Amino acid sequence: MIKIKQGSVGHWAIRLLWVAAVVAFVVYIPTKTTSSTVGDMTLAFEYAIAAMSLNLVLGYTGIISIGHSAFFGLGMYTTAILVTRYGWTQGWTFFVAAAITFVVGALVALPALRLKGIYLAVVTLALGVLFPTLVRWDKLEWLTEGPAGIDSVTYDDVPEWPILGELRGREGRAVFIYWLAVLLLVISYLVARGVVKSRVGRSLIAIRDNETAAAVMGVSRARTKTLVFGLSAAMCAIAGSLSATRLNLASPDIRNITLIGSITFLLIMVLGGAATMWGPIVGALVYVELDARTRKAGETGEGIIGKVFNDWLNIEGSPATLVLAILLLVLMFVAPFGVVGLLKRVVHRFVIILPRPAGHPIDEGHLLTTTEAAADVDGVPPEPDVNVFVADPSTTSGEPT
Amino acid sequence: MDRLFEALFLGLSAGATYGLVALALVVVYRGTGHLNFAQGEMGTLSAFMVWWFHDKGVPLLLAVLMGMVFGFLLGAVTEVTIIRPLARRSLLAVFVGTIALFLGINAYTTGVWGAPPDEVLDSLFPNDPDDFVRVFGTVWRYKDIGTLAVTLVITALLFVLFQKTRFGLAMRGVASNTDSARLVGIPTGRILAGSWAIAGALGALAAVLVAGNQGQVTPTLMVTVFTYATAAAVLGGLDSPGGAVIGGLLIGVGEALAAEFAPGWIGQDMKLGVALLAIFVVLLFKPSGLFGTAKVERV
Amino acid sequence: MSLLEVNGLRAGYGPVNVLHELDLAVDDGEIVVVLGANGAGKTTTMRAISGVIPRSGNVTFAGRSIINSSADAVVRAGIAQVPQGRGTFPELNVEDNLRIGAYTRRDGGAATTADVERWFTTFPRLAERRDQRAGSLSGGEQQMLAIARAVMSRPKLLLCDEPSQGLAPIIVQEMFTIIESLSKEEGIAVLLVEQNANLAMEIAQRVYLLETGTIVASGDAETIAADDSIRKAYLGY
Repeated sequence: MIKIKQGSVGHWAIRLLWVAAVVAFVVYIPTKTTSSTVGDMTLAFEYAIAAMSLNLVLGYTGIISIGHSAFFGLGMYTTAILVTRYGWTQGWTFFVAAAITFVVGALVALPALRLKGIYLAVVTLALGVLFPTLVRWDKLEWLTEGPAGIDSVTYDDVPEWPILGELRGREGRAVFIYWLAVLLLVISYLVARGVVKSRVGRSLIAIRDNETAAAVMGVSRARTKTLVFGLSAAMCAIAGSLSATRLNLASPDIRNITLIGSITFLLIMVLGGAATMWGPIVGALVYVELDARTRKAGETGEGIIGKVFNDWLNIEGSPATLVLAILLLVLMFVAPFGVVGLLKRVVHRFVIILPRPAGHPIDEGHLLTTTEAAADVDGVPPEPDVNVFVADPSTTSGEPT
Repeated sequence: MDRLFEALFLGLSAGATYGLVALALVVVYRGTGHLNFAQGEMGTLSAFMVWWFHDKGVPLLLAVLMGMVFGFLLGAVTEVTIIRPLARRSLLAVFVGTIALFLGINAYTTGVWGAPPDEVLDSLFPNDPDDFVRVFGTVWRYKDIGTLAVTLVITALLFVLFQKTRFGLAMRGVASNTDSARLVGIPTGRILAGSWAIAGALGALAAVLVAGNQGQVTPTLMVTVFTYATAAAVLGGLDSPGGAVIGGLLIGVGEALAAEFAPGWIGQDMKLGVALLAIFVVLLFKPSGLFGTAKVERV
Repeated sequence: MSLLEVNGLRAGYGPVNVLHELDLAVDDGEIVVVLGANGAGKTTTMRAISGVIPRSGNVTFAGRSIINSSADAVVRAGIAQVPQGRGTFPELNVEDNLRIGAYTRRDGGAATTADVERWFTTFPRLAERRDQRAGSLSGGEQQMLAIARAVMSRPKLLLCDEPSQGLAPIIVQEMFTIIESLSKEEGIAVLLVEQNANLAMEIAQRVYLLETGTIVASGDAETIAADDSIRKAYLGY
């Protein structure tokens, strides 16, 4: 059992190592792999951002939302419309998409958050179902091009970024979008992390764990929840904008803006590990990989998956969704804290980060210091009965001081 | 006037199916505190079973009954093997579990029965072109009357079950205070499974009615119906069976009228949108639905 | 042979064990009180006997072991509990609350109805409110209801978990009188756990003292009441 003091040299060394590994991976993809892998990774990052936005609201606030596909779609269409209709460059559309969706998200949240648990979930369901029909509506065709969708969301050439080197044309674009995705993912991660670790974040967790106590302690529930919901919506919209840029189109038939999209984001979040920072990212990577593999197996009838599905169960076509559904179910039994949760447990058998001893000076505005002391934990373990989500108690680090 | 009644009759029929599925959702919610996202798909699977039995030569009515038994068993098995263990972990786990079931069953039925040939299923009611009555001069088809009648009869039966039987009392007890239910000797596990079983049978019946209406069983049979039914259940109040049926009928009639009299604004696609928007507005003023009971939280 | 015999009972919540080697017994028709401070394990004892939490050790009732029985089997064997905090079914009306108490009975609807009417006669306040939702009753009325409900199953042993909790002293007096007369008239044994010792000891034949999960003292009620040190520790004077 290795024990490392928080803030010590060893701790920093681990963090540095981790960052270096991530950077190496990120750089490896566009430089050493094929452009289809680059495309896959970009897709994964897109999903990661969407899942991260869902994580913000669901993992940390306990609000169930299966309507985030609407925000994704809002971002996608905002970018598409601004680029094709008004000739904007795609960069600025991201800001506008985020801003608009933030407002929409907050507006929806204001009345909706008064509803309890399942009623709220149904409202989000309504959102998710509504958005594609709204886009198809002929009264809005002047804006959205209805069922046909908006295509040729193109831009002339790839901007001159040093990192792209000599690449041009198709490959250049693929790499450009990849790096754009990385940038957006990093920003999203930082924002999410900032929210979670901040006072806002801690009050969120407090609300999640015990609303009544939080109210009594003066945490403004309505305002906090609304803000976070809006932020989450905006983040999801960014993923949508990215998608429009990558696909060069926006259409009501794209899975990610339908209810299935919402469910996919949820699945990815759970797969990776809800209420963890890296969960959405890991989940997205695993999902994209799994999806590609099962699709191939289903088509060619190879391997175990091919055999089980095509021969035994008599299913034609791609068993991808079925495999993923079964995976999700198995996951809820076996690893409810997702891949990252599982990894954390394993790591904690060997390495523990000891929190700073209590009693160091408290500075203004850090009233909830207990959370600060356990800086490597992503959520304060709640009482099982009260919460939507039970955080994994075995990953809280440290010994009593 | 004619158009009004036509829309009304069609709306009542559609609304009846929404109400039936909404009833299933309410039975599960009231009994166990969970929303079964897969309720519609479980019904679809049962409907395919009915088709399969019928295809093998079983008379239609008997096949439907067997399908309901299938739905009953499916519900019970699901509750015991999947829902109950997940419920021990968290509410979210159950929710995700039912979503997984929704995806999985849908994918399965699509894979097995998605491709042609179609799985033709006749309506339970006489459905020839001359099978109708005239009410106020407007045509009201037997099958539409039948669907409505079946729903109302089922609702009445459920009422009797809940209010007048020992099992119904136990269900209400478990829903009201599970700990005390255990202490008076109610086998809570069996009651929970029973709630899901009843809902499964209801879902199967609803799916058969919908399939009969459109003439065939398809994998996406219940997807829209489920959404409408959820809206209906929420509108009526998730713990009110009567509210669920009324909600369903309101939505059915509402959207039929809207489509009839404002087709420019409310085409096929937007019908659902209007329904959902209306729900949202109702929830603003009555957060627990029209007939739901708001749980008082004592601080 | 006692009606209820508990030997070496262990029970708890998850990894935390609350009861350690608990021993007690209750004879037919007896009223036995278990005194204990907050956290001593009173409710855990009640729950363990009723079988609603995992437990180990030995619990015998009317000669048969119930340590591995399910909660509903324990009720059918003849043990009924009046839980802490009343435990009424708030959405059900008063009459249904009584009826549901008779769930395990096999002697038919008419007998149940007869009993329901009987308890309404004994507790006229409940009869007045028979169609009212139980959640809207006052604390004292709910306690009455909870006792009547428990007795509806015609138990041989009644477990009462802190019946005085949250009630005004005059109501508490009434509760204990009711429990005592029920026990005498119906021949029901009573195992009562309480924090508030005074009134409870007046109706008890024997007293146990529970401290951090084990019985630390026992004896008949007069002896325990007369003991100065115990009085100081548990009765506060």
